[in-house]
Amino acid sequence: MGNNYRVAADIGGTFTDIVYQDSETGTCGAAKVLSTPENPALAVLTGISEVVGESDSIGFFVHGTTVGLNALLTRCGARVALVTNANFRDIYTIQGNDRGEIFSIRWNKPAPLAPVEHTYTLTGRMSAEGKEVDPLHLPDLDRLVDAAATEGYEAIAIALLFSFKNPEHELDAARYLQDRLPGIPIALSHRISPEWREFERISTTVMDAYLAPVVRQYLETLIEALADRLPGGGLHVMESNGGVMSAGAACETPLQTLLSGPVGGAIGGRALAAATGRANLICVDMGGTSFDASLIVDGQPSTSNETKLEGLPVQMSVVDIHVIGAGGGSIAWEEAEAMRVGPQSAGSKPGPVCYGLGGTEPTVSDANLVLGRLDGSNFAGGSMALDRSAARGALAAMGDRFGMSAEGMAQGVVDIVNSKMADAIRTITVRRGIDPRDFSLVAFGGAGPAQATALAEELRVGEVIIPVHPGAFSAWGMLQTDVRHDFKETLYGFWDRMELSRLEDAFEALAERGRDHLIAEGIAPDDISFERAIDFRYHGQEYVLTIPLADGPIDMDCVRNGFDAAYARQYGHNSPENRVEMANIRLAALGHLPRPESAPPTPLATKAARARDVYFDGVAQATQILDRNAITTDRIVHGPAIIEEATATTLLPPTWQARLTEGGNLVLTKGGAS
Amino acid sequence: MRKADPVTTEVVRNFVISCAEDMNASLWRSAHSAVIYEGKDSAVALMDEQGNMLGQSTGVPLFIGAIDVCVNHVKDYYGDDICEGDIFVMNDSYMQGTHLHDITAIGPIFFHGELVGFGAARAHWNDIGAMDPGSVMGSMNIFQEGLRLGPTRIVSRGEPIREWYDHFRLNTRFKDATIGDLGAQIAAIRTGERRLAQLLDRIGPETYRAACHDIFEQARQLDRAAISAITDGTWSREGYLDDDGVGKEPIKVALTLTVRGEEVIVDLTGTSGPVPGSVNCGASQTESLLRLAYKTMINPDRAITGGSFETMNVVLPEDCMFNAREPAACEWYFTGLGLLADLFISCLSEAMPERSTAAHYGDSMVAGFFSVDERRGQWMSIEPTAGGWGGRADGDGESALINLVNGGFRNIPAEVMETKFPIRLEEFSIRPDSGGPGRWRGGCGVVRRYRALEDCFGAIWFERSHTPAWGLNGGGDGAGPEVTITQPDGRQESLLKMAARGLGADTVVETKTGGGGGNGDPMQRPHDEVARDVKKGFLTPKAAWRDYGVAVEADGTVDEAASLPR
Repeated sequence: MGNNYRVAADIGGTFTDIVYQDSETGTCGAAKVLSTPENPALAVLTGISEVVGESDSIGFFVHGTTVGLNALLTRCGARVALVTNANFRDIYTIQGNDRGEIFSIRWNKPAPLAPVEHTYTLTGRMSAEGKEVDPLHLPDLDRLVDAAATEGYEAIAIALLFSFKNPEHELDAARYLQDRLPGIPIALSHRISPEWREFERISTTVMDAYLAPVVRQYLETLIEALADRLPGGGLHVMESNGGVMSAGAACETPLQTLLSGPVGGAIGGRALAAATGRANLICVDMGGTSFDASLIVDGQPSTSNETKLEGLPVQMSVVDIHVIGAGGGSIAWEEAEAMRVGPQSAGSKPGPVCYGLGGTEPTVSDANLVLGRLDGSNFAGGSMALDRSAARGALAAMGDRFGMSAEGMAQGVVDIVNSKMADAIRTITVRRGIDPRDFSLVAFGGAGPAQATALAEELRVGEVIIPVHPGAFSAWGMLQTDVRHDFKETLYGFWDRMELSRLEDAFEALAERGRDHLIAEGIAPDDISFERAIDFRYHGQEYVLTIPLADGPIDMDCVRNGFDAAYARQYGHNSPENRVEMANIRLAALGHLPRPESAPPTPLATKAARARDVYFDGVAQATQILDRNAITTDRIVHGPAIIEEATATTLLPPTWQARLTEGGNLVLTKGGAS
Repeated sequence: MRKADPVTTEVVRNFVISCAEDMNASLWRSAHSAVIYEGKDSAVALMDEQGNMLGQSTGVPLFIGAIDVCVNHVKDYYGDDICEGDIFVMNDSYMQGTHLHDITAIGPIFFHGELVGFGAARAHWNDIGAMDPGSVMGSMNIFQEGLRLGPTRIVSRGEPIREWYDHFRLNTRFKDATIGDLGAQIAAIRTGERRLAQLLDRIGPETYRAACHDIFEQARQLDRAAISAITDGTWSREGYLDDDGVGKEPIKVALTLTVRGEEVIVDLTGTSGPVPGSVNCGASQTESLLRLAYKTMINPDRAITGGSFETMNVVLPEDCMFNAREPAACEWYFTGLGLLADLFISCLSEAMPERSTAAHYGDSMVAGFFSVDERRGQWMSIEPTAGGWGGRADGDGESALINLVNGGFRNIPAEVMETKFPIRLEEFSIRPDSGGPGRWRGGCGVVRRYRALEDCFGAIWFERSHTPAWGLNGGGDGAGPEVTITQPDGRQESLLKMAARGLGADTVVETKTGGGGGNGDPMQRPHDEVARDVKKGFLTPKAAWRDYGVAVEADGTVDEAASLPR
């Protein structure tokens, strides 16, 4: 009898990271396989068979999928017909009518996923109170019925005004079309997103209709392929909101999987916050082409209730992730006798100059290699040799034009990319009124640990955490989450006139639905809990703040005071004398998943300590090189040092020190502080 | 001056851009009025100690360059009497160019006792004690438009001067919010001060100055290169505003643009003198608008830093509505600016055919409804309306997009409007046939039809019927705006400007915004593209035949035999 594993896969553009955890002992391992873009499930299957033996079993498997996102980016979704109210055919074309680039006279709106010639109008209108103003005229839909075969529609989206107040018109239209066009899936806006703002709701509903068939097909293939190894619904998918759901549930609400790829890092951050007793974390993920930053505040990931994809709004709960084009592959270039770095990236092909695959422009990775911060012979665990002299040649050529040495140029490339990354972090902290000095910085991804201390210095953050398996941290994060479903309803009115019973009934109705979903997924009633929140604003304002409610009966005054306090935190002042409006209620239904604690990795005897010259502040210094798994809990490593492991390289400058903390995570601090 | 090393220069360049963004974020975060934190009617800048702009962040593109001039006014007025911790404010229309609502706060930035720069933050104040609450529609001189300030010290060495704060309180209808907004502007300047001090701790003022010098050079060099690439020449364009909001006479706007070597010269000679209504604009805001027009054509994708725009010279006649002097009224100063920008871009269209477009619909086209009732209290719904943009050399103009001088304004959704206000939006659609015909069609305007469900007030300010968006290279003009008011008894009235007026329940206000101009000969537009426009509802079959010579059914079927060949 073999071991039972919990497994997570983070599918990237180039590599798929796999993390597996023994359900009994909590011990984790990591592996990396090449991604197979044409069939992402294949890499997952290959990866699993590499790490899990024949006699072992998998009880829980979760993965983040980019299938939906890729279908959107490549515009390979379903052919969608959209149904709107008469006189409102063009809402999805007009969009918000704001200009994406304020200095451009040539800017175009993002192309809608269902063009206006595939939009069909329906006479009939509901009022803001949900009362019928004009009755439906269903024969209007015969145009759509007649065109369906010739146009080849694969999905229908119905989004009518005020359907979140009264869905009768949408339901009637759906029944009419279902009878006449059996087999074509229909997405109804009041089900996909019962929230006001017609353009955003239309966009969300069409996005669902457009992507559902693609995501469903992928998931069904995977369920079938894994049926032998994963009996009993063990297959799970990461959600954009940071939860997971069973693959079966994901087939029902495929939109929720859309941004599931990068969320793992933020959820890993939440688990790390709990494990290490740190409430506030800045999580940064730096790979080859992009730099993703997210926040854990008071132990929870920062989230939004709306996001944009390809410029099109989607009303759904997402973990906030700020992405900029900066990574190991970012290219240094020149214009107007000035030096720039990124956002263009050499990617993995041709890649940095040092890969020797045809890249000629120096990149951040080339600079790190020239500065001695990467080991050309021990890169990616020794699987790939790097050409240091080629990298140096490219940087020297560029340096010549500026009167600088190759090493000076290399330091410059690193300094510039660090200042850009620090600025990305400022965007999600300082610009929202959050002081980064109250946070610890968690750095992961292949390139993150090499830049982490420089970022910390730039932001005056006192402590850096390099988690276990930093290159696979996002996959590890996926193992640390619960099943989650989000529900919402637009409920607009003055808070001081809201009846408590009406509010509690509305929440109870959402909770009922959440409970049904979770029980259908096999969650035991005792493992179910709820998080409630309300969108509030002062009278006259447009934007809202989402305020979480405490469990138990709702105390109206207490909630009101909570809004004033949250407003002061966000904006620096508040107006307790002003009236408050509520706009939406939100409920997250959570199903707790049993999981073992992550056991710290066992230190191994490895290669002897070694040394080489590494540049710090323009000066080459003899620097000790250690293997991470040779560091024991009682040891403090003093910089300058380089700590190497299979998935990443951590740079420890002079005046910094490193030690192990809870769970085998590495903590870097400056000076004598700890 | 010595050069900084290129790495430091690039780090400083990223710093000035991000510092300005931090300053604006701080302003938005702590402002009390929605017009600032939601409407983003604000701008900030970080300048060197001479007042040269280094980095800026703007909420509305209109404010791209009129802030640095305020520092010069402060320096001229106060000379050496500028101390650490001081804050100055000003809003005079003739000094800083815009309407009196825009208050600019300026603070010197010191590092270890040495003046190293200035920070400035401009924000729209909702009420500055004019004859009507909020915006005045019928003013005929600046004294009807509210409180007017030249450079004025209101904080001395960190200590607020109490009598000035009291003065502001006494001169606005929104007392606490206004003082709160002023506090937010000061907070923005302090943010810039703090971040600059952090940078100077690391690199010192001398290296910083050297890097700034290099940044100016880089921007100049990029702009000079872009302008050198344009063939030299002189071009003139003119058009007319419908009226000044008070009289009925069209108002002439003329612009001559010369490209000579590395320089662009813009001359407004021939434009109307000052007008009685409030569409006059101060010189520095006129220059700011011309910088915006310039930016759309010269290096539009680059961040604005010090040294940008030094390649442009503006010539303003003394007697010109865009060089307003006391007592010209300036409340609706932005009305003429859309036309001015279109004229600027049009002048460059011969020399820069790939980048230029035909004219856009060109005005904010504001529609407002308001009243007081028991359930809602005082309510107001006011919004600019989107319209069509000009055809490009390689594509159709965009439809239903907000005008150039605005940027991030979004329409109010029907579901929000109807939930909050007693207004029903009966239609929001693309206005067919409003885009100018062309090989590349102008974008279409929109139709927005409102029904008052209860008695209320309405106000309208639509412009550009006299000179709608014109075509380019043989393309046709876009349609101008139209507004129709239908009374409950069926009586109809067409107008484009309407000061606040009572609307009885069931009155319908239908607004139609203009389209963009077409680019190139419409007879060159392929049949299938015309057919697609008909199918999409951008074009009626009738106009397809009239403007393009294509016989097409409403479903997009083309009768090739009956159509003019391509």
